[in-house]
Amino acid sequence: MKQEVSLEQLKGELEAEEEKSASKAVFKWFFKNIKFLLIPASRLEELTMREREYEKSVSKRKFLKRLKSILTIIGVILVLYVITLAVFGAWISPFTFAEADDVYGVYWTAPSPLHPLGTTYMGRDVYARMIYGARASLTMALPAIGVSLGFGILFGLISGYTGGWLDTIIMRLFDIMLAFPALIFAIVIVSIFGRQLNNIIMAYGILGIPYYSRLIRGNVLQAKELPYIQAAKVAGAKNWRIMFRHILPNTIQPIIISFTLDIGGVILSFAGLAFLGYSDPDLIEWGRDISLARGHILTAPWASLWPGVMIIITVLGFMLLGDGLRDALDPRLKNL
Amino acid sequence: MIPVLFGALFLTFVLSRAMPGDPVSAYLPARATPEQYWAAYYAYGFHLPIWQQFFIYLGNIFTGNWGNSINVAKGVPVWDLIWERLPRTIDITLFSMIIATFIGIKAGVTSAKHRNKWKDTVFRGTALIGVSIPVFWLGLLLQYFISYQLGWLPNMHFKDAAYPDPPVVTGFRIIDSLISGQWYLVTDYLVHLALPVFSLSFIFLASITRQTRSSMLEVLQQDYIRTARAKGCKEKDVIKKHARKNALIPTVTIIGLNIGGLLGGAFLTETTFNLFGVGNLLLEAITGRDYSTLNAIVVMTTLVFIIVNLFVDIIYAYLDPRIKY
Repeated sequence: MKQEVSLEQLKGELEAEEEKSASKAVFKWFFKNIKFLLIPASRLEELTMREREYEKSVSKRKFLKRLKSILTIIGVILVLYVITLAVFGAWISPFTFAEADDVYGVYWTAPSPLHPLGTTYMGRDVYARMIYGARASLTMALPAIGVSLGFGILFGLISGYTGGWLDTIIMRLFDIMLAFPALIFAIVIVSIFGRQLNNIIMAYGILGIPYYSRLIRGNVLQAKELPYIQAAKVAGAKNWRIMFRHILPNTIQPIIISFTLDIGGVILSFAGLAFLGYSDPDLIEWGRDISLARGHILTAPWASLWPGVMIIITVLGFMLLGDGLRDALDPRLKNL
Repeated sequence: MIPVLFGALFLTFVLSRAMPGDPVSAYLPARATPEQYWAAYYAYGFHLPIWQQFFIYLGNIFTGNWGNSINVAKGVPVWDLIWERLPRTIDITLFSMIIATFIGIKAGVTSAKHRNKWKDTVFRGTALIGVSIPVFWLGLLLQYFISYQLGWLPNMHFKDAAYPDPPVVTGFRIIDSLISGQWYLVTDYLVHLALPVFSLSFIFLASITRQTRSSMLEVLQQDYIRTARAKGCKEKDVIKKHARKNALIPTVTIIGLNIGGLLGGAFLTETTFNLFGVGNLLLEAITGRDYSTLNAIVVMTTLVFIIVNLFVDIIYAYLDPRIKY
């Protein structure tokens, strides 16, 4: 009885708190949806309705509380900053995209009121290129990880669930791909198909597949033996349905964590590839700017300094966000 | 291991042949007659069906013939070419790996021991920056500030232009200089390697520190650590004897998995510092469509990856005696 009262109070407080601000409604909607996927505790069927409500509110609270570390907030701010630059770059930047990517002004000039951070090769404005570079980074990193994630999940599920010779073949192929040097693979793929954006994305998309597949497969092998899968089988569910409706939601949590962390890694890889001269010539890209400016580092250090700072900001943002998400979703791993 | 190596060989053969253009047109002069072109084309056997070329190539490899370089240095056996460049790559990779492993484990353990204190904050912050900094940019930064502005260390190349080369015995500059007794060459070489090794090891160090810290914290919560403390074990011994070895298992995995990334980073660092290592050779081989050189480099890198992971398995067994193979 005593417990029930405290439950009611808790619920009341929580609701009153939530009605306070409209901005929290967005959060509420977001976590209501993401939580079902991510927090297994919120789905214990044997709990009564009221206890379930309580569990939900508590676990939501815990999730928010864990997410509320200073480092995570910095990460969110950095990521939002880069996204803002990518989306609203044309309004923020003093030059248009065409001007920033054309022969313009004097080459390698020092910072001045017209060019706040100086100019780089062909007289292009460093500040404008810093801003427009965010577009390339995000438009390359997100689809590349998307490709790896999609195919990785597919292959991981199939090979983990079916097992047997199919599993052996897929895993042997992935062993080869893992041992194959990634940088060389990317350069060769870009040499074969050309330096367009989609080819670079494809190269890194393919390279990421084995990692996700292995991650998923390990989890599938564990989940496969659990009673609810057997129950689904007895109930007559098709293999396809078991894989995607029953196993996938229970194995996706580590994937979401490593997804956020890997965005940073992929952005670094793209920068490295661009540094070696393999990047889309139509794009404004930080890595290529550094590579072209490095010969002039003595006379114009600003041209190679600032793009690097932007790379660090982007990657650091995603790393911090990934760390924070992992802490919130999987408290056992909290300490990294 | 053998299937993986074979698969890598097959993959690199297919990929290199799929690149547009061919090595012959890349090295013949622009005014070469079609007769000259086709003569060279036939001489290298490019007119044969692709599968036949693959089997000829395989047969050559099994007899120890990795082919001659077509384009980078015409007619030089591939391994001679690679062996000329390899020592620098091995040196910076090995030095970085050793430094990063020792300092990284030390930093990770210290960080976990003083959790949420200033030491921990410093190490964690450095590690976070380390994982998000591009290795070539760090190299540029070091070049600019330490060699150009402060003038403490040389900025590029692996030797002073005025210094001679020691007589070649093993190809490794340190060993050769020691054999010929020229001490000043050793110091000169080490001074030139300092910046590349620092920038490369910083990246690697960051991931090792992060992993060691997290696994160390997990181990410190285990029951047997409490038991060790309860029985009156000194804190130093608890960390060193009970906790550290167990915490190192995930770290060793990270080292094995990152070796591919480390080699990629080494290629980038070589380019930044003009070290004339395998990385530069690789870029030349790709632009020149030098199939045999490219294939040999890929197979070598894959082999390194496999061997390091083999060592990782052996180290597992040392760290955790329950694991037996």
